[in-house]
Order: sequence, then structure tokens, then C-alpha cells
Amino acid sequence: MEKQIESAMKRGRGYWFVDGFTELFAGILFFILGGLTLLGGIVPPSSFLSQFISLAESAAIVKLLGLILAVLGLWWLKDRFTYPRTGFIREKGVPRAQLFVFLRNSILIAIVPVLGLIIPLFIVPAVRGAIFSMPVWFPPVLGIFWGGLCILLGRWTALRRFQLLGMVIMLAGILIGAWQLTLGLPNVPADALRGNILDPLPEALWPPLQESLSRMLAGVGIITMVSGIGFSVSGLVTFLRYRKENPVPYKEEG
Amino acid sequence: MTAPLSKISDVDRVIHEPSRLLLVALLSSVESADFLFLLKESRLTKGNLSVHLTRLEEAGYLTVKKSFRGKIPHTEFHLTLKGRLAFDEYRKSMGSILAANKR
Repeated sequence: MEKQIESAMKRGRGYWFVDGFTELFAGILFFILGGLTLLGGIVPPSSFLSQFISLAESAAIVKLLGLILAVLGLWWLKDRFTYPRTGFIREKGVPRAQLFVFLRNSILIAIVPVLGLIIPLFIVPAVRGAIFSMPVWFPPVLGIFWGGLCILLGRWTALRRFQLLGMVIMLAGILIGAWQLTLGLPNVPADALRGNILDPLPEALWPPLQESLSRMLAGVGIITMVSGIGFSVSGLVTFLRYRKENPVPYKEEG
Repeated sequence: MTAPLSKISDVDRVIHEPSRLLLVALLSSVESADFLFLLKESRLTKGNLSVHLTRLEEAGYLTVKKSFRGKIPHTEFHLTLKGRLAFDEYRKSMGSILAANKR
């Protein structure tokens, strides 16, 4: 019985995703962002396309405006399409104490790995090599983190498709890391890593650093695009099923 | 009467009815929900749903807010603190009854 009660409670939590619109919007956004990141690394830096990509990537106002328009569009669609068909709910506000715990934990989760990487950089010179092996470890870490969030969302809302998406994203991250490993790591002269970390970076380290960064960004671009495709397909399937089940707005009988 | 048996007779009968239990569970995870959402999710008839909602309102477990969305009348239902506490209490007592039964 407890399971049935839980499942009824989760229906309310997952209602925002009932029509697939959120996934479709997020999927398209991820696909564009991932595509821009990936293209930015492939296209020759001096080309016209490269200039356009770097402009699109760096123009924060365009991204912000796009995000605001997407949210407004989402509300408009829900108001016109979803609420007349299956009803309206008002989400619960988050209590301050809960919000504080969430923020504190998020900051800790963000800070601990960064400190865990930075502190050893000062102590053990060999750890500095981690920057040059980013193409191998960064995509799996990102994939596991991002996929893990999707799985948690899936559990919270009892929507299996998010758990499946989370697993796909995790797998994509791990596969990209493995693929990058088979390509080999940038060649780094071991003695160049030994200097004082606060000194300017030795010239010998610039080419491997740039290679590492561009390969890592390509990996991030692929994960973002995979997420985008996954979310878009999931959103489209959900939307088609929702429309089939609720073809017309609800009307009073008689 | 043994302790678990006395607990069974103490269970909140307003919430214990399956349809009302479903409605309270649905409302417990949101701030408020409208009639159409509850109708679709519970799959009750409109008459039945109205009766159960009225019963919950009479018990002080939910409040009703009537408004307009554009020109269309819109009714939202909100679980009160009394309703939330009663729901929590019901889950606890049913949980302990079922656990005692398993032992």
C-alpha cells in the first residue's frame, strides 16, 4: 500500500514533464550548445564559420535571451495545450531550511573535487599531469555527474525514461573517455612539470595543454549533443503519446 | 483488544477510504491542484470526485479556491496543515500495523 501511496505522490512531482515539452526544449538547447562546442574545435580558427561560432558561444546575452524565451514559450504551451487537457497543478514551494541544505550540499559537491585537484597540484608535481589527461577523465566524470542527476530526477518523479537517459549519458561519458585513451595522451616532458606552480607555464607545455583542452572540449561537446538527442527523442515520444491519450481539451458534459 | 487491533479501529476513516486516500496522496506532493487534474489522475466520475472532495473539505483537510483563468471558472484544491498531519499520521499507523502483522 505504501508503494501505491508513494507512486500517487510522485505523479504530482513528475507532472511538469507529462507532455514532453520540457525535454524537447532542453534537448534542442543541449544539441545546439554541444554542436557549437564541437564545431568550434573542428572548424579552422581563421574561417568565417569559426568567427560566427565563437560569437555565438561567447554572446552570453543571446544565451540568456534564448533561455528566457524558451521558458516563456514553455509556459505559453502548457497554458494552451497541457492544462486544458489534463489539468493544472501549482508546485510546492521549497522551504528555506531545505533550500539552505540543498545550496550547502551543492557548493560542497562543487568545491570538494576542485580542491581535491588543486591542493595535490601544489604538493605532488606529477599530479599536474592530470591537466594534460583531461580528455580521458573529464568526459566520464561529467557523464557520471550529469547522468547521475538524471537518474535522481527519474527516481524522484518515478519517470523511468529519465533513469534510462541518465544511464545513456553515463555510458556516453565513459565511452568517450575510453576512446580518447585509445588515441593516446598529449606528450608532456616530465621535467617541465616540476617547476614552481606559480611561475609562468613553460613553453614546452603550451602545445600539449592546447591539445588537451581542445580534445576535452570535443568530448564535452559530444556528451552535450548526446544528451540533447536523448532528451529530444524522449520529449517527442512523450509528447506524441500524451497527444494520443489526450487528443482534445477536456469539455464539460451536458 | 491487542495493540495492533486497537490501532486498526483508530485509523482515520476519512482518509482510509481508497479514493480519498488517493486524492490526499496526490495533493500532498503539490501546493494545489485543480479539479481536472484530480479527475484525470483518480479516474473517478465527476460526481464521485465532488462527493469525496466535499467530505475532505468538511473534515478540514482541504481548502477550495475558486478563481477564473481567462473567462473559464477554475477551482483549485489545497491540502491544509491538518490534512497533511492526518495523512502523515495515517501512513505511520498503517505502517506500524502492517509491520506488526509481518512479525
